[in-house]
Amino acid sequence: MAIRSLKTGTFTRSGMAGNPVIMPGSYESIATVDVGAGGAATITFSNIPQTYTHLQIRCFARTTGPTNGENTYIYFNNTSNGTGYAWHVVRGDGASVVGAGGANARIVANVGTTNTTSTYSAMIIDVLDYSNTNKNKTVRNLYGWDANGSGYIGLASTLVPQTAATTQIDIDLAYNFGQYSTFALYGVN
Amino acid sequence: MALQLFKIADVTVASPVTIVTFNNIPSGYTDLILKYSARSTTTTTALQTLFNNDQNAANYNYRSVSGNGASVVNDAQTNWYFSVSNPSNATALTFSSGEIYIPNYTSSNQKSLSVDSVTENNATAVVTQLLVGRWTGTAAITRIDFYQLSGSTDTNSTFTLYGVL
Repeated sequence: MAIRSLKTGTFTRSGMAGNPVIMPGSYESIATVDVGAGGAATITFSNIPQTYTHLQIRCFARTTGPTNGENTYIYFNNTSNGTGYAWHVVRGDGASVVGAGGANARIVANVGTTNTTSTYSAMIIDVLDYSNTNKNKTVRNLYGWDANGSGYIGLASTLVPQTAATTQIDIDLAYNFGQYSTFALYGVN
Repeated sequence: MALQLFKIADVTVASPVTIVTFNNIPSGYTDLILKYSARSTTTTTALQTLFNNDQNAANYNYRSVSGNGASVVNDAQTNWYFSVSNPSNATALTFSSGEIYIPNYTSSNQKSLSVDSVTENNATAVVTQLLVGRWTGTAAITRIDFYQLSGSTDTNSTFTLYGVL
């Protein structure tokens, strides 16, 4: 096993002969939410530790709403959509490409239930410098879904006008997130 | 198993600098990831990315699809504008967010990379960019430099380099 110096914080391999070398990684699971049969209106990660450099959320999600492409929103520190939020996206649907934007906390569109049984969107959401109080937070989301006839691939961003350290993240939409949606929050040292 | 990511080095800009450098990059990883949050001291967004201090722009190429908040630009150039910084006229205290993935960085072949990067702004004008790039160098990458096309990289910009196993 690795041994950590309390003085310097550095890791070294075990001095015990025969032990495997275990290198401490910079990518650690903080929390995971698995959506059950009843669905979930909001996904909340609270009490986010401030010991990492960056955050990443990996999502596998669908909505219980009736329409493909339902808008999804992200809020920090339990502050709902307000002045100063902005979003932008570049996305393609297999036929054309669109650049767009607006003034709220939108991050992405999800797959709708009635049109696409058992189809989920994939999202990788990065929040860099989440505890840095010298900057607003810029959310970057690489996402997509394919429902065998419709879908998007896109890169989206959201300006969260908060310089406060991020201790809570909520991901929200008008309907519920469907069963078997999963959201995994990671800290990156 | 969680992604096997290991921090190699990081840079936080304390006052505006013309160059951010990662030097002596070890060769013991499979791939490199660079996460950055940057702002320029000028209104330009292009952030030049150089490998092994190769300052010949002819050795770099890229293709990109970029949204500007209202429309889309397809672009292909012989140049090293692989990344973007928030311009100085964007919303105050707001920085770009980007990730550069460099697979097989020790290969003796030319290097390819993928980049997803965004600027943000409480207005229409942004850059939302998906890019693939090439560097023709065949030596292992041991150094990466970032230069703003114009001006300097501003205070509180951060760059974090990771090795991937």
